[in-house]
Amino acid sequence: MKKIIGSLAAALLLAVTSAFAPAQGWQITDKYTVRFTGGGEVGGIFKTLKGTILFDEQHPDGSSFELTIDVASINTGNGLMNTHAKSAEWFDAAQYPLIKFTSKKIAKTAGGYTVTGDMEIHGVKKEMTLPFSFKSSGAAGTFSGAFTINRNDFHIGKPGGDVDEKIKLDLTVPVVKK
Amino acid sequence: MLKRLLLLGVTSGVLAGIVALIYQKVYSSSVGADFSTVATPVGIMVSNIVGCMVAALGYWILSKWLKGKTEIVFNFIFVILSFASMLPVFAAKLPLTINSPELFPGLAIPMHFFPALAWSTLEPLFIKNGE
Repeated sequence: MKKIIGSLAAALLLAVTSAFAPAQGWQITDKYTVRFTGGGEVGGIFKTLKGTILFDEQHPDGSSFELTIDVASINTGNGLMNTHAKSAEWFDAAQYPLIKFTSKKIAKTAGGYTVTGDMEIHGVKKEMTLPFSFKSSGAAGTFSGAFTINRNDFHIGKPGGDVDEKIKLDLTVPVVKK
Repeated sequence: MLKRLLLLGVTSGVLAGIVALIYQKVYSSSVGADFSTVATPVGIMVSNIVGCMVAALGYWILSKWLKGKTEIVFNFIFVILSFASMLPVFAAKLPLTINSPELFPGLAIPMHFFPALAWSTLEPLFIKNGE
């Protein structure tokens, strides 16, 4: 009887520890791209992305993302536009140097995953749910996501004008296991 | 006259192109920004030679029309056009692989004045006063 109880306790302990074990850590490689388009000639990339990614395909609920983008790393391909984008009227890179995203919940969907978390841009924090996909191959993998952000929600620029209010973002983030 | 002007156009174009290539080399090594994929050596040479050839044709057309005042009017127009050609440089959208597009005007704008400078330098060798 004691043996059975002992075995059950060990099995239970194993189940509990595996369920609460931290998800796999992933290191972002330097091949990532963060692209944005805002209609017409407006578009570009952010060159600097950093973050901590814990992600388990089987247990997305125990996963988490913490990503930051350096606002000053914006590149539209045009020097004047870069300077303008970093100015107080738009991203105000001097006062708000980082775009931050901290996940709260990651869930599996029919086509991939969704991550719900706090997006902080231009000093404004807003909860957003963003779709993404993950393709793994051995010790490497790639996160991909495409979504739109309304720049007015974050008080970036003035409403209307040449730049679309809905900015489309495309992220491709190759990772390797830590 | 036209033959001499075309010769002046080619010569000043080559001179402006060489100066532009030297300037590109110095600029790239001093600021650490490489724009050689956008402003290629061939592109720089061809655009300078073509620019000066167009200037030669312009001078010839003006000389038929203005006679003695050709040089004054031509130099004025050449400099104004050189200034005007700065605008597309500021508006240029470079490939996103280029890291510092902010530094591009510092390279390209001086280059836009090299044809006029080369022309003015060599002009006395090809055109006599009052022609």
